[in-house]
Formats: sequence, C-alpha cells, structure tokens
Amino acid sequence: MGWLSGKLRLRLAEATRNTPVVEAVHRVTWRKVDARRVSMDKLRHAENLRTRAERIRRHVLERLPDYLEQFVTQATAGGACVHFAPDATAADRIICEIARSRGLRLAVKSKSMTTEEVRLNDALAAADVRVVETDLGEFIVQIDHDRPSHIISPIIHKDRRQIAGAMARELGCAYTEDPEELTSIARRHLRDIFRRCDLGITGVNFAVAETGTLCLLTNEGNGRMTVTRPRVHVALLGIEKIIPRLTDLPVFLKLLARSSTGQAMGAYTTLITGPKRSADRDGPEELHIVLLDNGRSDILAGPVPEVLHCVRCGACLNACPVYRNIGGHAYNSVYPGPIGSLLTPLLWGPSHEELPRVSSLCGACRLACPVKIDIPELLVRLRSLATDRQPRIKRWLLRGWAWGMNRAWRYRLGQRLMRRTLSDDGSGWATRGLGPLRDWTGQRDLPRPGARSFRQLWQEDLGDER
Amino acid sequence: MQVALFITCLTDTFYPRVGEAMVRVLRHFGCQVEFPAGQTCCGQPAFNSGFHREAARLISRMADVFSPYSCVVTPSASCATMVKHHGPPLFPEGDQARPAVCALADKTWEFTTFLRDRLGVDMAAHLRFDEPITFHYPCHAREIYSVEDLQGWLAGANGCDLRVPARPDLCCGFGGVFAVEYPELSDAMLRDKLSELEATGADLVISNEAACTLQMSGGAHRRGLRLRFKHLAECLAESLGLMEPESWAG
Amino acid sequence: MSGDPRSSAESVTGDRVPTAVRGFVHALRSRTAHIQQQTALPDEPTSALREVNPDAILAARFASEVAAVGCDVRRVTMENWLLSIEEILRGHAARSVLIEPGPETALTPKRAASLRQALAAKGLATMEDPSDDDMFAVDVSVTGVVTAVAETATMVCVSGSRTARGATLIPPAHIALVARSQIVPDLFDTFEQISAWGQMPANVNLITGPSKTADIEGVLVTGIHGPGSVHVLLLDE
Repeated sequence: MGWLSGKLRLRLAEATRNTPVVEAVHRVTWRKVDARRVSMDKLRHAENLRTRAERIRRHVLERLPDYLEQFVTQATAGGACVHFAPDATAADRIICEIARSRGLRLAVKSKSMTTEEVRLNDALAAADVRVVETDLGEFIVQIDHDRPSHIISPIIHKDRRQIAGAMARELGCAYTEDPEELTSIARRHLRDIFRRCDLGITGVNFAVAETGTLCLLTNEGNGRMTVTRPRVHVALLGIEKIIPRLTDLPVFLKLLARSSTGQAMGAYTTLITGPKRSADRDGPEELHIVLLDNGRSDILAGPVPEVLHCVRCGACLNACPVYRNIGGHAYNSVYPGPIGSLLTPLLWGPSHEELPRVSSLCGACRLACPVKIDIPELLVRLRSLATDRQPRIKRWLLRGWAWGMNRAWRYRLGQRLMRRTLSDDGSGWATRGLGPLRDWTGQRDLPRPGARSFRQLWQEDLGDER
Repeated sequence: MQVALFITCLTDTFYPRVGEAMVRVLRHFGCQVEFPAGQTCCGQPAFNSGFHREAARLISRMADVFSPYSCVVTPSASCATMVKHHGPPLFPEGDQARPAVCALADKTWEFTTFLRDRLGVDMAAHLRFDEPITFHYPCHAREIYSVEDLQGWLAGANGCDLRVPARPDLCCGFGGVFAVEYPELSDAMLRDKLSELEATGADLVISNEAACTLQMSGGAHRRGLRLRFKHLAECLAESLGLMEPESWAG
Repeated sequence: MSGDPRSSAESVTGDRVPTAVRGFVHALRSRTAHIQQQTALPDEPTSALREVNPDAILAARFASEVAAVGCDVRRVTMENWLLSIEEILRGHAARSVLIEPGPETALTPKRAASLRQALAAKGLATMEDPSDDDMFAVDVSVTGVVTAVAETATMVCVSGSRTARGATLIPPAHIALVARSQIVPDLFDTFEQISAWGQMPANVNLITGPSKTADIEGVLVTGIHGPGSVHVLLLDE
C-alpha cells in the first residue's frame, strides 16, 4: 500500500500489467484517435459545430423539465406509451411487466449502455425472457460471459483468437479466426433470431422534444432489425438525452460519427415517431419509451450538471492515456474512461469516489469531446467536494505541505530536508526516497537537487550582476 | 523594463540553471530582473487535488509577494495557467483578496510568450542547435501556447534538425500528486511517452515544464535511455553565448 | 413546428400521459428551480455552417461521396436504367427481386411496372409486397429514395403503406434509384426538409453506405445485418 492510496491503486497497477489487453487497447484507441483527427480536419465548420452543440445541450439541461414535458406530450400523441422509471429496479420492473403482460419470450437488443446500467438482461432472464444481444461486439460479450470494456466498441480488449474460441464453443460452428467468416456466422445465427423475436429493446441516442421522435445511430443494421421485426419495441432513454428540434439533430450527426469512429456518418440514422401506423407494411405495433432517472436528476440539481451533456460518443475514452494503459474493465463500471470517471461516482456513489483522482488532467478528453465538456475541470470540482473523505495521510501531507509553503522560511527548510532524504550515490540521481517520495522512486529516479537552489544562486551571484 | 521572476518551486529546487538562463536572456533583451525572495508556490498541487481553500491561500500570498511589480515572468506554463485561469475563480466578488489575485493574473507571463509578445523576440532567429532535437509539449500549456507555436520556434532555428514526435502533446504521466498516488499507472503513461521520444532518434528533448522534465528524465535515467532534457530558456542562453553549454553528466 | 416547449405542453390535453410521468416532471421542476436559464437556443441560420453549398455541383459531389462510403454508383438515364439494373442483378446471380415504388421517389409505380415487365421478359420473378418468408429470400431489392445528401452520401427512405422498413434492410443487396433533382447539398438542408413535412412518419431511415462493423480487432467487415452491397443509380433528371 502506498502512502496516499490503497486498493484502487493496486487494481490499476495490475491492469497496467495485463499486456495483451493493454496492447490491444493501445492499437485500437490510437487508430480511432487518428481516424477522428483526419475526419474532423475535413469538417470545415468543426469548431463552430462543437460550440453550437455545446450550447444546445446546455440550453436543454437548463430547462429540462419543460423539454421533457414537450417530448412526452408529443411522443404520446404519436402513439407511444411513455413510462417513468425513477431507478434501475423500476426500469427493469416496467420492462419485464411489458414482456410478461404481452407474453413476449424472445427479446433482441441493440447496443445500449443504459440497459447495461440497469442490468436489464439479468432482470429479463429472471422473468424467463430470453435476451439476445445483436450488436456484434455485445453478442460476443454475451456468449463469452464477459463484460464490455468500451462504450462504443465493447470488445476492444479481445483478439480474434478469443473471439473465434468463444464462437466455436458456444455456437458449435467450425473454428475460424477470419473476421469476415466470424461475422458471417454471427449474421446467420442472429438472422434466425430476428425472424422469431417478439420484443425489441434499444437505447436512444437523441430524443427530439418537438416531435417526440427517437433517433438511433447504428452501423450494423441490428438496430433497424430490432425496431422493425418484433411486435413490441421498448426504448430505454436517460432523461438527459433530449434535444429541442429536428433541425438541431444535424449539428450532432455531423460530429458524432467523426468523434466515435472517424466516419463522416454512420450507416444508419433511424428516426422513430410512434409505433407503426395501421397501414404501414411492417414495424412494431407497440412502442414503449421508458424514461430513466436513476440519479440523473440528482446530477442535474447538483454541482456537476455538465456531465449530462454527454452524447456517449466514446471519443474521450479513445483519447485518454489512462484508459489506454488500463483498459475499460479496470474502472469496475458500466461507464469507463474520462466521462465514466465522472458518471460512476455520481451514479453509484461513495465506493467509486476515488475514480476522479485517477487522472493527470491532461485534457486530451476535453479536446476530443464533440460537445466540449471540460472534463478536467469537472474532475477537479468532484475532487474538491470529496477532500474530507480522502485518505487521512494524504490530507495531512497536502495540508502540511500547503502550510509549509505559506512562509518563505518554511519553504526553504522543506527544500533542505528534501535534499537530506534523497539518498546520494554520487551520481546526482536518487533511486530511493522516503515517505511519498518512495512512491516516486519505486518507478523512476529523481535528480538530487544540486548544491544551490535558484534563490541561493540569485542571492549569492546572479542578483548582483547586471 | 522591469520584470519580477516567479521561479516556481520545482524549478527553484531542481532546475536552478533554467532560472539562471531566464535571467541572462531577459537581461540580454533589455529587462531589469527582480526576484522577490518571499515567493514560494502557486498552489497548483493543492488546487488539482481539490484542496481549494489551501490553494487560495497560496495564490493570495503570491499576489501579495508580487504586488510591487507590474510584470511577472515564469518558466512554467502550468504555473502561469494556475495563476491566470484557476486563481481568480477561487475568490468570489467581494472577497478582499480578489483584486490582488486578479491583478496577478493579468500581469503574469509565461517566459516564451513573454519574449515573443512583449519583447517582440524572434525566438527561432536566436536559437541554434548542433544536434537533432525533439520536443515535449506540456498538456497544461494549452491556455498559453499551442503545439504549432512550440514547433515553429524550434523548426526555424539555425542548424535545426527537428524530429517531431508522432504525438507531441501526449501526456508524460506526471499529473501532480497523481504520479505518487498511482505510480504504476503514471509510469505506464511515461513508458508510452518515452517510446515516442526515443522513436524520433533525437537525444535532446526540449521540455519547458519542470514537472514533466522530472518525470521524463527520472524515467529515462532509470531505464538507461540516452534522452536528455532542456528548457528553451537554457537553449536560448547557450545559443546567445550567455551561458556555457551544459555537458551531460549522465 | 413551434420550438417553444411550453406552448405545446399546454395545448395538448395530455390525458394519455401517465400520472407517474407527469408527477416526475413536476418534481423535477421544483428540484431544478435554482438553475439559471442563461443559455439561449442557438438560432443563427445553419446555412453558414454547411459543408456543401447550393452552388456546388451536387450530383458530382454526391456520386463521389457515395463511392467513398463503399457503394457502387452509376449514372443512368431513362434510356439505360433498366439495362443497368439487369447488369447488377446478373452480377448478384439474383433469382428473387423485390421492387418497391414509393411516393415522392424516382421509382414511380409506372417505372416500377416497366422494370417488372423487363425482368419478367428475362424470366426473373419479382415481387412488391412479399410475405415474411419471401422477404428473407429476396436477393436484391430495388427502391427509390425521398431525398439524398451530397455532403455525406446519405439517402433518406421513408417507410409507410407502400414501402416496408425491411425492403432496404433485409435483402443482402439494395439498388437505390436517386434522381439528380432530389439531391440537397447538406445535412442541414435535409433536416429542414424533414421538419417541413409536418407530421413525422413512424420510421425514417437515413442510409449511408452498406451495413458494417469493425468490432473484431478493428477490421472492417460489411454486410452484417443490413445490405452489404448498395448500388446507387443516379438518374439524370
């Protein structure tokens, strides 16, 4: 155990040593960072769009009750059934009840972090509903009894051998490591499910208040299948995902795919307003929209409401040097990465309170965020609200240090003491330090301060020269 | 003109040569340099850790120490950012320390941008290098100067063989208290940074941030790498013949 | 459509809105009463933010973007469009073809009929409103689009009483007939159009290229659930 931190540090240290995962995460995140850079450079109005997107999100969250009211009214008028879930348990209960009351037994799911947040799959399984994840990455996570490690690309921690093994084992198919063949196998398997399913569950990327429209962004087509094939569609929607008008959507569409994957647009942007009209050839007969709070109203009313501006693009994860070196599982949360370091303690409380400290505040996330969330500032704000719950030694050391710095003579004394505590083997470098400096020298050397500090140099020579 | 030097605690303790170089360069370009002895620290480590009351006390003290001066110059962009951007919001309207803290924010300059913008110095014209160089862009310099700025000062220098790293602004992993709270993670980030720098083939790294230099040079030395680190102030002072080139003691 | 949230809320009876939902909104209003409403909704015209302006050569830009996202794009006229389609179908060894004319598209019922005739003459069975089993056996579907976007190579398809959602999703190959006059410059223009429709249809799809994934080691694979082959016929009208 170090002087300043405990179990989390050990877990993170272990994560940095998981070489196959760390290497895989490096490869994929660097590729996405580069793809994002190239595609944003081509977007002439990128900066203006980011500013506009930020302002739209801020505007909505300043008036969320009004926009929610408008959305609910419009969605209901369009034929959707709107429910409210104050927490995860309620969301699960509502959705299970919809399934039960309509005798729905086979559910297909399009990727939704919100459904992971409320652990919907477990609840549906307990209610005897078979749930099949249809996003390729989530499908592989499901059959391999794993957890997603990135909010956009769930299996960046897995290599093709692991995937091939899981598919051969769970689906009984021939072993192959070829991505095209693996994808083909998944396609055949899931196509059969799509033909037979009766319940479709999705998240929502944006909900348009003006028209009660749900906007879903996908690349594979599984999302479209999910909202087309089954007779009941359930959409789980965090209350913060509202935008005012249809004409605000393109501001976000222009930024989102570029930020996530470097594409100019994803393959499918689906706008859903109500269940099928009676004369429509296909589509669900029922649309249920479940509005999820689960702590969001607390966040909105609290000191860091900006966290709710997030549009879940994953750009901050790709940019983050911490995420790159530990991978998503190390966060022990549905939401990893920089935005996860804020959301996780806010949604799940004290046991995750240390997460905001796991950052060098380098700001790569802020630069990448399409809606300009100042993540480092919010991390510092959360840190400032938790100072009394930091490890006692750290509080004493930091306050002691600050006290010492408050007088020049104490500062100079501190300098002299530090020089003494660093062992000197004559090389000018210390390899072992005391106290917190031991945590430094565990990993790196420290230059031993020279004979004179700058102020001594000034007082003795430099000050008098002209 | 008169400038007061805000040396920063890390530069004062570990890199006095950088301070010396700054003084010589500023004098060379016609400044009269003062050094208020009462200065200690801008409070950035406390601020970043969330100990804002303690940080505010330190900033307020700095504002008092520097109140007799109309122009303050510091070698660290992160300390300049602390003073200019994070200091004033700690003091609400009506707080009696606020005017002095705001005044400090207005009159504090980071060294390289001071030379360029207040003294009109063409940095590239005065710099000379006689070996390949690369550079590290400190994350906390974003409010002060850009990657392109830094690259431009170096690329135009005499004799320059500038090897641009693939990602010049990749975080070195220091992050203040972070480096000792999560040292293994900090070191993993450092490993990425050092590989980037090594891949350029240059041994000399221009690094204008004492904290980053501590982290990178400490890691390089532990690993037996040939990388050496210098502040632009030192390079300028040497190029101008104001200081002897430092030999690397290893 | 009014942008003011309050006017909509008051004018609709809302009696189908469940009490729990209304209760939540009411409670949220009290909890957030302290939040300063200081950010105006950006209302500057988005014409200044277009990536592609109306004075661009839209057909050329659209065609090049469509190719760039992985579609096969062909310029056709009323003289040769049927031949183009036949060629594409041959390339897919298609035996079952879905032809779906749509309102407001370039694939009018009349054109659909002539396509059906032409294919029947070649011995190729076509259908218009397939059963579920038949839909899953379709090799290639042929549809129109409601609008197309030069900026991003996006095609907008609306489902309804004559157009199934599955038509542009379930078959492994899709041929889209796009008239030059249907192309708008920028996504902003598309959404102005959609917004002007008045009532939103139940389902609108903005389709950009083939279905794709890169979940396995970042390797791009197309045609996972939606069509892997998308052919765009750019009709000169």
